[in-house]
Amino acid sequence: MAESLGTRVKKAVAPIGGFFTSFALAVKKGDIFVKLSLLIMGLGHIVRKRVVSGIALFLTEIGFFLFLGKFALKYLGKLPTLGTVQAELYFDPILFTNVWNDYDHSFKILLYGIISVVIILLFIYIWITSVKLAYKLQVDKEKGEEIPTFRRSIRDALDTKYYRTLLFLPILGIVVFTVIPLIVMIAVAFTNYDQQHMPPTALFTWVGFSNFKQIFTTSITSTFGYTFGKILAWTLTWAVLATFTNYIGGILLALLINNRYTRAKKFWRTCFVVAMAVPQFVTLLLVRNFFADQGIVNTICSNLGITSLLKSIGLVPEYLNYIPFLTHKVWAKVMIIVINIWVGVPYLLLIATGVLMNIPQDLYEAATIDGANNVQKFKAITMPYMLFVTGPYLINSVVQNINNFNVIYLLTQDVYETTDQLMAISHGRETDLLVTWLFRLTNEYYNYKMASVIGILVFVVCTVITLVAFNVFLKKNKEGEMQ
Amino acid sequence: MRTYIKIKGERFYPLRHLFLLLLAFFWLIPIFWLILNSFSASNAMSISRFFPKEYSLIQYKNLLLNTDAANQFPRWMLNTTVIAIFNCIISSLFVLMTAYSISRMRFSGRKLFMNLSMILGLFPGFLSMIAIYFILKTFNMTNSHIGMIMVYSGSSALGYLIAKGFFDTVPQSMSEAAMIDGANQNTIFWRIILPTSKPIIVYTVISAFLAPWMDFILAKIMLNSGIASDWTVALGLYGMLDRSRKSLYFGQFCAGGVLVSIPISILFVIMQKFYVEGITSGSTKG
Amino acid sequence: MKKLSVLLIVMCLVSSIFAGGSSETPVAPADAAAKAPIDLKVWVGELYVDATAKMIESFKAQYPEETFNITIGIESESTCKDTILTDPEAAADVFTFADDQLLDLVNAGAIQEVLVNADGVKSANGEGAVAAATVNGKLYAYPMSASNGYFLYYDARFFSEDDVKSFNTMVEKAASAGKKVGMQFGVDGGWYLYGFFKGAGLEMVINEDGTSNSCNWNSARGVEVAQGILDLVASGAFVADSTSNLVSAAADGNVVALVDGTWDSNPIMDAFKEGYACAKLPTFKVAGEDVQTASFAGYKLIGVNPHSKNVGWAMRLADWLTNEENQVLRFQTNGDGPSNVNAAADDAVRTNPAIAALATQSQYATVQRVAGGYWTPAATLGTILSQGNPEKTDLLKLLDTAVAGITAPSL
Repeated sequence: MAESLGTRVKKAVAPIGGFFTSFALAVKKGDIFVKLSLLIMGLGHIVRKRVVSGIALFLTEIGFFLFLGKFALKYLGKLPTLGTVQAELYFDPILFTNVWNDYDHSFKILLYGIISVVIILLFIYIWITSVKLAYKLQVDKEKGEEIPTFRRSIRDALDTKYYRTLLFLPILGIVVFTVIPLIVMIAVAFTNYDQQHMPPTALFTWVGFSNFKQIFTTSITSTFGYTFGKILAWTLTWAVLATFTNYIGGILLALLINNRYTRAKKFWRTCFVVAMAVPQFVTLLLVRNFFADQGIVNTICSNLGITSLLKSIGLVPEYLNYIPFLTHKVWAKVMIIVINIWVGVPYLLLIATGVLMNIPQDLYEAATIDGANNVQKFKAITMPYMLFVTGPYLINSVVQNINNFNVIYLLTQDVYETTDQLMAISHGRETDLLVTWLFRLTNEYYNYKMASVIGILVFVVCTVITLVAFNVFLKKNKEGEMQ
Repeated sequence: MRTYIKIKGERFYPLRHLFLLLLAFFWLIPIFWLILNSFSASNAMSISRFFPKEYSLIQYKNLLLNTDAANQFPRWMLNTTVIAIFNCIISSLFVLMTAYSISRMRFSGRKLFMNLSMILGLFPGFLSMIAIYFILKTFNMTNSHIGMIMVYSGSSALGYLIAKGFFDTVPQSMSEAAMIDGANQNTIFWRIILPTSKPIIVYTVISAFLAPWMDFILAKIMLNSGIASDWTVALGLYGMLDRSRKSLYFGQFCAGGVLVSIPISILFVIMQKFYVEGITSGSTKG
Repeated sequence: MKKLSVLLIVMCLVSSIFAGGSSETPVAPADAAAKAPIDLKVWVGELYVDATAKMIESFKAQYPEETFNITIGIESESTCKDTILTDPEAAADVFTFADDQLLDLVNAGAIQEVLVNADGVKSANGEGAVAAATVNGKLYAYPMSASNGYFLYYDARFFSEDDVKSFNTMVEKAASAGKKVGMQFGVDGGWYLYGFFKGAGLEMVINEDGTSNSCNWNSARGVEVAQGILDLVASGAFVADSTSNLVSAAADGNVVALVDGTWDSNPIMDAFKEGYACAKLPTFKVAGEDVQTASFAGYKLIGVNPHSKNVGWAMRLADWLTNEENQVLRFQTNGDGPSNVNAAADDAVRTNPAIAALATQSQYATVQRVAGGYWTPAATLGTILSQGNPEKTDLLKLLDTAVAGITAPSL
């Protein structure tokens, strides 16, 4: 913890430097075969009787150049402009269908271009490594050491290098389904990809940082700055409230149920866990109809006189004759938090039950002897222990809640309409989180450029929270534990 | 003031139990309403009465037997089961393999992988959906089960942390003893570590199995043919509450919700204790 | 041996680079294209699936020498555009949609200009329908029905024919009986809200650039209209909930009149039973005088995807699905009012109460040509008004902000 940022960065970068210096060394000191391996991958291996690896490397090289020629170059060349040929078509009465020109599809250029870059980088890595290996084989031979055979490398793949075998497919999956899509969408933040520039019939292009500028500015026709500020504030409020209400609620409920004087513990636990078993989208869509303006709860409240009671104390606006559970900006926010408690507390109940069982009983016994009451025990033993054990989980939950799409989207979509006119201009709502705003911008308004900017900002927010929380909160906690 | 009474010599707190009863009531009432509506004779949602006017099994009958262009429930169940089973196999393997490597082996790039996977977790997933869609489309795999399986299981390795936390708690001496007997890492993984890790395997397998039953948003983007027999349960049920369908399908939506919940509840009951074990061991070690 | 393998490798490598550089050989055009089955995918709303299946059968019978492979997918007309624009290449070959989406589809190049039987379509369908399917003088879609606009449904057991001439009378009567009159001008309500302002002579139309609107609601007259709406809302009997909720409320007897379209006529018929009646939109009081509420005329159209492999056949199919015979069929199965002049002249059609009401309303209806920037600010304005302007914002200021949003170029 004491090391400065500079040394940390240096430490992180050092292996990368080493990677290249050893490559330079291999090229300089290697014999002709090693040097030729620069051009013909696998040659160094074949010469040193590692025929199978050598051929595999060579085939990789052929495959790579085929990929380069047939696929990558076509898109890489267009990457700087994202395409220039506008789509055009004419109807051919003989073929009886449309004939399109060979047009550019900006998004495909971006996507395939980035995939190509990733594959090229990967190939360069393999290329460098193979040359270094060829050099290593040469050195081993010169020293008269036994050259590892192909069978030996198979054995390694199942033993000392087993992690490579295990991690190959999972990492491939991550690269294809997370890393590449993320890079593409981050790149979109620097383009003008929106409804006016939508492939296949229109092109989009690079615009630098202008989208980032737009998200922080507010004018009468573009209110992104205003909306972003409001939604960010609510997102953070929500993340903190949602996390802590669930956390405290879960612990209290767990204590209540697991108390030694509570009867039928299993029954109570089941009652709450049943609520988890119904898929969230079912319960949330149901609850949204449950609390509709002209819904069943409103009918009941109105019949019981609750509506007029709330009206008389000013909680329901005078002009309404229903309770605007999900349609009034304050009510909706409160209801979202309450419904989230309903959704989330059972999970916390399970976790808290598990953790509470692990608290050493002698701690409580010692406290009882010291004459502590229940509240003191809770404050001095239960909470610190819980926090210590579930600290990382808690921070993780805050981040997850920032990205908690389901609850807000399912409860407010098609139900809530903003009354803030400035927010409406940038299609935001008071109840929106950054992610739901992002989603609606893409899904309903095809404003991919701003959605990407928002996505990047969400990342920044989450990173800051995680770093601060881990450094401040957890460190303090650990010190507390040591005393 | 005494807040308890004695029943058979044991203290009993009526207020506390009353409070629990009240809470349980609030937690169960929407579920109860779901079940009630699924047995209603009316297709539309009633807003004036909590209990249906008339009880009937018609919603279940329509859902299961009278399939139409917007309701292919039996087909959806089949689709989702197939996707869930394959996702469950692939995801579980990915997660366990990654967790084992990170937990039990030391290699250069290990820390890098852990840091990168944490950073990737901080990006909102929705951002990349449209790109994933086009990647799948390149291989002609939108509107296909294989595509959905790939989407669900592709990045599953990022969720390795909980399993890693569990593997961290398995004593190192076990693998050392096996190594002296000449076992390689492959044997240790399959024969020694996995058999002792039942809780985390059950947890991983069940959560992977459940994912396709819960997700509607990825499915909505990937399965865009408009042909109902391609859909998953979640997407199909979600569509039933579409504004134009709600008045016709609300009852069937409720019946479908009940039917989906039954297998999920059973899995949940099985998973319950492993869930706690998994989460707590995973999060403490982090 | 060693040298030989090296040579071999070098040759392979060189040839692979050249192979990589060479371009793909063009695929020879299939000569027997006519005999290959014609694949077409059609998107319709779920209520039209059965009727469409019948029409497709009769379409196939027209061309016995061809083999077709036509599949039907469901995609609600109201959200069709959203699905298409996400990826036009993956959309259905033939799709049905509401006319308000036409402009976005044209701008995105996701709809084919009508080239099969265009003149026939223009002459067979009503002027309004043709105008709704035309952008910049080009016909882009086949009109399928003319009944996608809105009008008033009411319970004749509660309101008399005189009552429904004015919103103010209706609201007053409903308020005294504890009942409600509903219109969806709040949530997603821009489509309905328009009628109030247009009725009072104010304009909101798309500019020539196709991406922004011009709007003069932020005027003294606009303030009077807003005040007129607030007066209606003030009693608490004029509610702005979504139509699906209003229909539920009508079934439970709370709502005795609502503004809605033909797509909800069946549940409303069930709700009002023998009291089921329809009328043109009522008037409402603006600065003391009665003003006829206007509306957007609504048409359902059938479009063809220009990315389709069989654009020609897709157009033939779209043309078939919208011909006189099939419009009559659609009236019989779904109660849709035909856009085809001959089909609309049918007695059964003319005496249908919903379609008659729409026909009366049509003189106060305008074809919808609106840029995307309109909807959210308008819905917000409607929501604020429906809540009685809770923050008591100065009405002119309210309208100024709304108009700023409405006239901004769509994002």
